[in-house]
Amino acid sequence: MNLATVALKNTRRNLFRTALTVLGVAVAMLAFLLLRTVLSAWLVGVEYSAKDRLATRHKVTFIMTLPKRYVEDVRAIKGVESVTWFNWFGGRLPGKEDQFFGSMAIDPPSFFQVYDEVSLPEEHKQAFLQNRRGALVGAVLARQFGWKVGDRVTLEGTIFPGKWEFIIDGVYSAKRRSMDESSFYFHWDLLNQTVPVPQQEQVGWIASKVPNAGQAATVAKRIDALFEPRDIQTLSMSERAMNTSFLGMVSTLLDAIQIVSGVILLIMMLILGNTIAMGVRERTHEYGVLRAIGFLPRHLSLFVLGEATIIGLLGGALGVAIGIPLINGGVGRYLEENMTGFFPYFRVAQQDVVIALALSLVLASLAALVPAYQAGKLQVTDALRKLG
Amino acid sequence: MTTEATNGSDFIRLDDVGKVYYRGKEPIEVLKQLHLTMPEGAFEALMGPSGSGKSTLLNLIAGLDSPSSGSVRISGQELGRMTEAQRAHWRSQNVGFIFQTYNLLPVLTAAENVELPLLLTRLPSSERKERARVALRVVGLEDRADHRPDQLSGGQQQRVAIARAIVTDPKIIVADEPTGDLDRTSADQILELLVRLNRELKKTIVMVTHDPAAAERATIVRRLDKGALI
Repeated sequence: MNLATVALKNTRRNLFRTALTVLGVAVAMLAFLLLRTVLSAWLVGVEYSAKDRLATRHKVTFIMTLPKRYVEDVRAIKGVESVTWFNWFGGRLPGKEDQFFGSMAIDPPSFFQVYDEVSLPEEHKQAFLQNRRGALVGAVLARQFGWKVGDRVTLEGTIFPGKWEFIIDGVYSAKRRSMDESSFYFHWDLLNQTVPVPQQEQVGWIASKVPNAGQAATVAKRIDALFEPRDIQTLSMSERAMNTSFLGMVSTLLDAIQIVSGVILLIMMLILGNTIAMGVRERTHEYGVLRAIGFLPRHLSLFVLGEATIIGLLGGALGVAIGIPLINGGVGRYLEENMTGFFPYFRVAQQDVVIALALSLVLASLAALVPAYQAGKLQVTDALRKLG
Repeated sequence: MTTEATNGSDFIRLDDVGKVYYRGKEPIEVLKQLHLTMPEGAFEALMGPSGSGKSTLLNLIAGLDSPSSGSVRISGQELGRMTEAQRAHWRSQNVGFIFQTYNLLPVLTAAENVELPLLLTRLPSSERKERARVALRVVGLEDRADHRPDQLSGGQQQRVAIARAIVTDPKIIVADEPTGDLDRTSADQILELLVRLNRELKKTIVMVTHDPAAAERATIVRRLDKGALI
């Protein structure tokens, strides 16, 4: 037996209270770990984005479209290897409006050139290229709705009203994490010929591929410089920069997540501090006895700090032990499959585990500082009088 | 720290000791110019009505408190001149405590409770355990070493407390109502044990008690009233 084992045994004094406190710390740490993983996952999304692809959009906003003729202008720019274009469709499945997925009109031949990580059987690819009513769906989306090749799917347009019927010609998967597997693609020609004349010959954004990532910035400048004198100016950036700028758009949300993490930890600290303070109050007489037999104020403070750090560490370890399988195996897998674009890799980072455990220890110590100080400054005779 | 040679008769020596507590701004004189000497190896009982100052006197002798005036010398050492930390160290080496309510740590076994004061020494773990075992044998509870306090009777708990008090081999044992919570049979066993510690191990025992039967076991009975010896 030593002083540390006395502190350890003290945690067993009121097992129910200790268990509840450990559980409280564990839940706080689990929430902290989840929020930290969300933050890390956002950044990982940027990491995985293609560095050799550019996105060109209306200079003012994503919502405004570009003239289709800009595609050929971009194709002609030095350093551009291949070009394709998209229109955001915003389709929903009737009766399943709450289940969001991305639906876009594309130019299939150029799409396959620019997005060479798209993988599907050649016969399915050829069928999709030739069928004007054809649709290409991601493997995750197909699994989610039970779709297979040959199925007829009707989407309801939110931007382009009406019911749009498609035949699924192919189910794609992605060779790299730079592309999600939960999108719905169909022919741009179909959209272009169906919408009213003012909306025809318009594209949402242009995606172009450059030979290497090092040229991306230069080519982006060339593109924007070309359209600068025109009525509609563009804003070009690498896919990575686009994702980063998107992060900038949600920076308030990320800041909010950081604040919530802090608040959770603060609450955890207060709960722990209260439990420890209760213990100190209940043991005043006992501390008097320990002081009488020769223990110094610092010994009592160490007992209190030791007990708090043991509880904090147990809670942190439990939170991590529950958090890793829950996030990696449950929430993470779901998000990776259904929101690949945002969360291509939603797993608990090792450094976050270390931070969580270190915080458990540090915050538990901080929570115990006041009770430890109070225990240390007890007068022996006053403490002995408390009960006797 | 001041140490002076003593003859055997003033092992414990209190000169002109006064103790004043304050209730708000109002002073309450608990001990008044008290003179007292006790020889080494004495077994003395302090009796008196509640509020007479006997527990305060015990606390001064045990080094738990310091006098407002006068001096308390134990074995020639002036306790009033020691710092808080020096007094704590002195207590750990020279005083064993027995309380009315035993005051064992409920999460520790009997052996661990007895070993507790030895954690303040540099003794190796095996030596500490051995000393705790010997102390438990002295009080007749070696076979209860692994029992927690809630698995022991009141009398047994008090015997564990006595083992804890003697495990550091202190010169003085202070006992504050050691039989106050016990039935007559258990109380007699505890008193018998104290007598043995006094006679066989030559421990100086100062005991506060309300119990005349307990006081009878002491060699000297002192009575206090209103902060003065009578």
